[in-house]
Amino acid sequence: MKSLLCATFVVVGVWLVLAPWVSSAYLTTLQLIIFMYICLASSWNLISGYVGYVSFGHVVFFGVGAYVGGIAMAHGTAWPLAVLFAGLGAALLAVVIGYPCLRLRGAYFAIAMLAVNELVRILVLAFEGITKGATGLYLRPIENNRIMYYAMAVVAAAVVLTARSLNRSKFGLRLMAIREDEVAAEVMGIDTTRLKVYAFILSAFFPGLAGALFARYQSFIDPESSFAVLTTIQMIIMTLFGGKGTVLGPVLGAVVLSIFAELVWVRFPFLHQSIFGLLIVTIVLLMPNGVLGLLRQRGIIPLRKIL
Amino acid sequence: MDLHLLTQVLVGGVLVGGIYSLVALGLTMIFGVMRVINIAHGELLVLGSYITYWLFTLLGFNPLLSLFVSMPVMFGFGYLLQRYVVRHVVDAPELSSLLLTFGIAIFLTNAIRYVFTSDYRSVPYLTGSFYLGSIAFSIPRVVSFVIALAITVGAFAYLRYSRLGMAIRATSQHREVAMVCGIDVHRVYRYAFGFGCALAGAGGSLMSIMFSMHPEMGAILNLKAFCVVVLGGLGSYSGAFLGGLILGLVEGLAALYLASNISEAVAYGLLVFILLVRPSGIFGRAEAN
Repeated sequence: MKSLLCATFVVVGVWLVLAPWVSSAYLTTLQLIIFMYICLASSWNLISGYVGYVSFGHVVFFGVGAYVGGIAMAHGTAWPLAVLFAGLGAALLAVVIGYPCLRLRGAYFAIAMLAVNELVRILVLAFEGITKGATGLYLRPIENNRIMYYAMAVVAAAVVLTARSLNRSKFGLRLMAIREDEVAAEVMGIDTTRLKVYAFILSAFFPGLAGALFARYQSFIDPESSFAVLTTIQMIIMTLFGGKGTVLGPVLGAVVLSIFAELVWVRFPFLHQSIFGLLIVTIVLLMPNGVLGLLRQRGIIPLRKIL
Repeated sequence: MDLHLLTQVLVGGVLVGGIYSLVALGLTMIFGVMRVINIAHGELLVLGSYITYWLFTLLGFNPLLSLFVSMPVMFGFGYLLQRYVVRHVVDAPELSSLLLTFGIAIFLTNAIRYVFTSDYRSVPYLTGSFYLGSIAFSIPRVVSFVIALAITVGAFAYLRYSRLGMAIRATSQHREVAMVCGIDVHRVYRYAFGFGCALAGAGGSLMSIMFSMHPEMGAILNLKAFCVVVLGGLGSYSGAFLGGLILGLVEGLAALYLASNISEAVAYGLLVFILLVRPSGIFGRAEAN
């Protein structure tokens, strides 16, 4: 069993590395998008799954990253530097929102994030001089897009490793203590506000990077797609499906649901979003810990194993 | 400054603000009683709008009389939603109820889009305006405002004097003590969610004669309702009433002084600003953690 699992991992790993050279452009793009969703869902999981503060506007960091990176690249910055700026820009926004809002109960934070995304989207639309408004921002296409595939893979891996390190570090344990009982955590001497802000910065930084990489990959961004509420919904549903507060849950959710969306749901645009809504309701009511939680409950995955 | 124009804008703002108050009252009631933030409130309002629209278009029903349909229907919808769905997350961590109502919101928006399509629709009823001095009053807005005010006053009176209203307030103040006094809190929850939805439905019906409707407007109205509730302090009834009028005024002023592409963002900006500066609301008590 174990060797079979190892063999599968090796095969998948080799495939993922070689794909841009041997497989079709369609499949490579699909894989890049799956990496992107792994990054986005795992980032949402950092603040909402581990700390328990629901962010309903998380796509704002992706969009800000796309625009900071896009504008930097349009002015001639080399892409790796522009991507770094994008991550820092998103992190800065997280500090500005996080410090006041994370002092408060989760509900206020959730409402604030609902509004922040709309606010930023409208501002991006309004400042046409810099952002080109609704027309969107075009970047000069690059010849070799393979590098973007690998870059997105690295970012996705970085988020997953960050989440993994949370399970083992004092920082991560403190975050989970906040989720379980914030008052108790505070009584035990945890500086809750500061740690929440740190977690929020982490959860904003990676989507910022992903946004800029995706902007570079597409060579085009516009406010409607960069700040799409549907992206936030997907982050949430992927994480919930796999299992919130676990390392592998968002990865599982991103892979399964991206492939499913590609095969089935694109044909039913409105209906599939209604099903997303029902799926969220069902998961919250019937399997609050997602697929991984269900497997653990059934004894298929040992209880003690950290996922 | 043109005083006449300013007065005109303020009048328009207050008239719209009355509806915001009504809608926010339902939201704050649901929150006050069971600490559930209903992310689907805007979508419930949209349902109310569509009820009025279809009664008017298909049956020629008077849009104002359609309140007698939309309010009971939405009450029943909310009652059942609480009875079978929301009930399970009332005592769960905040995360669960937020995600659950978010799921309901997504479902409703897209179900409405699927059934009614994304077209803009409007209810052509009571057009025109009358003048007091040199100030114009749009007739549909004045009528909506008066009805909204009447429903708001009725709701306040009900909360204050009826047995169930008192039970609702008692449960908001302290659930355990309310239970000890013999109040069936789960019954109170069902009624409170029902009333909250009925108020949203009433707001939707009244809005349908003021603005055109489309399925995606729920999200925008949601944020406006949150803005009002946060302005007045979460769970405060009088705060919700004043907050609605304030938002109406601020929007009116923004439309006058700001470029149209920015004034759209004013409700969101106000919401974020208040959350950053004074999250307990202008009239609320501090409630950190």
